[in-house]
Amino acid sequence: MTSTTSTPLSAVDRPRSSATRAGGSTRRRMRKDLLRSRIAAWSAVVVIGAFGLLPVYWLLATALSTPESTFQFPPKLIPTDLTLDNFTALADNDQLIKYMVNSLIVASITAVLSVVVATYMGYSFSKFRYRGRRSLMHLVLASQMFPQALLLVTLYTVFSSFGMLNTYTALVLSFTTFTMPLCVWMLKGIFDTIPDALLEAASIDGASRWRTLHSIVAPLAAPGMVAAGLFAFVRGWNDFIFALTLADKEKQTLPPGLVSTYIGEFQTSWPQLMAASLVVSIPVVVAFMFLQRYLVGGMTAGSVKS
Amino acid sequence: MTTSGISRRGALRMFGIGALGLAGAGVLSACAPSGAGSTTNGGDPKSKDFDFSSWSLNEEAAKPSIEKIIAAWEKSQNSKIRAVSYPYNEYLSQLTLKLGGGETTGAVHLDIAWLAAMAQMGKLADLGPVAGKGGYTDVALNSGTYDGTQYGLPWNTGSIGVIANSKLLAKAGIKEHPTTIEEFEAALRELKGLGGGVVPYAAATKVAQLKDIFPWMQTFGCKLLDNGKVTIGDDASIDAVTWYKKLHDDKLIAADVDRFDARALFGQGKAAFYDDAIIGKGVTSAQSKDKTLADAMQPMERPVLKAGDTPQALLWGGVIAIVKGKGQDAATEFALHTTTDLATTSRYFTERALPPSTTAGLAAPEVAKDTFSMEWTSKITKTATGSPFWQFAQNSQIEEAVAKQVQAVLVGTAKPKDAMKQAGEEVAAFIKR
Repeated sequence: MTSTTSTPLSAVDRPRSSATRAGGSTRRRMRKDLLRSRIAAWSAVVVIGAFGLLPVYWLLATALSTPESTFQFPPKLIPTDLTLDNFTALADNDQLIKYMVNSLIVASITAVLSVVVATYMGYSFSKFRYRGRRSLMHLVLASQMFPQALLLVTLYTVFSSFGMLNTYTALVLSFTTFTMPLCVWMLKGIFDTIPDALLEAASIDGASRWRTLHSIVAPLAAPGMVAAGLFAFVRGWNDFIFALTLADKEKQTLPPGLVSTYIGEFQTSWPQLMAASLVVSIPVVVAFMFLQRYLVGGMTAGSVKS
Repeated sequence: MTTSGISRRGALRMFGIGALGLAGAGVLSACAPSGAGSTTNGGDPKSKDFDFSSWSLNEEAAKPSIEKIIAAWEKSQNSKIRAVSYPYNEYLSQLTLKLGGGETTGAVHLDIAWLAAMAQMGKLADLGPVAGKGGYTDVALNSGTYDGTQYGLPWNTGSIGVIANSKLLAKAGIKEHPTTIEEFEAALRELKGLGGGVVPYAAATKVAQLKDIFPWMQTFGCKLLDNGKVTIGDDASIDAVTWYKKLHDDKLIAADVDRFDARALFGQGKAAFYDDAIIGKGVTSAQSKDKTLADAMQPMERPVLKAGDTPQALLWGGVIAIVKGKGQDAATEFALHTTTDLATTSRYFTERALPPSTTAGLAAPEVAKDTFSMEWTSKITKTATGSPFWQFAQNSQIEEAVAKQVQAVLVGTAKPKDAMKQAGEEVAAFIKR
């Protein structure tokens, strides 16, 4: 050890040693750069994550708080008076359970109806060429651009004159009017990715057009159909104004139900509202968890044309 | 022309299946008759059964009391009342749509600020002959009148005024409520001196509630609307906003405060004054940890510009209007009973702390012994007036337009003179529409 350190470096060693030092410092610099970029990336993740999750945290914290501590000023980031009363109160509220059942019924039927209708329309737009096709496609898209209030008044008048107000049918049809255009376009994009040769092969093998669509195209487009259905379900689940206007208390869904129950003229029961919101978001979260792989597949399926 | 060997007919068939739903809605829409044009909502006016619409039927605090009134009526009259409800914030738009579409019948609970918009639809009955039987106070009767016609029977009549925290005032050595702007400002400075994060006056500074500036503008002499001409932008309105800005800059009022924030601050003993309706006492004390706060809450006359001026306050309350058509007669009797029957109004007051609208109701022992309510009625409601903008369907846009300009002044992006001129022009444009 001593001799090594005391022995002067040879002329040959010097450049190598210098190169080693240079290499070492480059590696160190690279390591530092890598560390810096990792820290920056993680910081960004933490900041964005906090930005995204803080409302969820605040929802949970408020749901676990007493009404008095909810109004503390300045507000406390970590609540101290924790309680489960707001959750237990939900179980005693039969009306909320009714709203939830209504939501499940209309959102599910909306999703199924939207997917079924959009499948046929999307398939037609994607695989057939006929006069007026583009115009129809744009017409469908344009219908998405009507202000909701305009649609609402029209639908209200229609359902009223046909005695359909306060029915599940009215809610499902109204939700479908604004879920369908996007579903059609989503599914058209997915059908575009299915090669025409496949359909021709099916035809040569003797499959009818009907069979081709149902037995060959539909399974291939299943991820996209699930994604479209999920979109329609969430849209139906979250709608407030259509459900409030077209249905009475018996048929109303959760969003207007929660507002009616917890938001008053003078007071809002924030802790109970947050507890209810947390509980009712569970079905959507569960649906996303189960279907997310389809969702990702479906969302990107139409992005690249083969 | 096809791809995949499919014919045009096949393509159209596929499209047709899909388009069925979409087209159906469009066809139905085209066939739909218009709801407008009729002045009644149809049905038999003599029917004993009718609807009663009220936002309060949703609310935990109010629902049981109203349900009791409904149940008692149904039992005594052998009739059936269908309770209809929408959330308060959506109530006006829902009712407008449903009244226009003929879906709303019977009795309708209305905020007095909405009466004009509803009356203009031409579907409400004239209750003038009935109102005379009620024994209502003058201020209450006026709250149900639009364009000289009695469209609403007053249920609860109150006002939005200033509430003071006597404990904080005592702590700051303020023995009497300030009566002039000058005294008020001096009191605010004393209160500011207490430190500890006290906001002397939890005045509205968020757009959502900045309509609270109107009574202050009136205090400074602005009429808001004079013979159909908008006066916002005159010297008085500019002076009012300049003063408000001074309070803001001197931290005598706080930034970003709405009614909810004000109640929270007041409830924690961090605000000495704030604006609220008479019901604010119950709401604010209920959410406060200080169980003695309710006793410390006092109604205060809004300070005036100079001694002798009339204190300004905004009238606040609810009326019951009657829709022409099905169940009209029975609904009218129900409304009269609900708003004037002594036992009913007294019980409703006991349960909800909302002041009755009749002289007899106010004199009932249950009401008379409530010092806060009686003081409020005599000090604040007595001189309260409705907003001149309530008569316009664009009332909420008008309030928002003014509020935005006032907020621009508070945050320093506009001068009071320019902002008020701009606000006046915007309000005038809304009124012309």
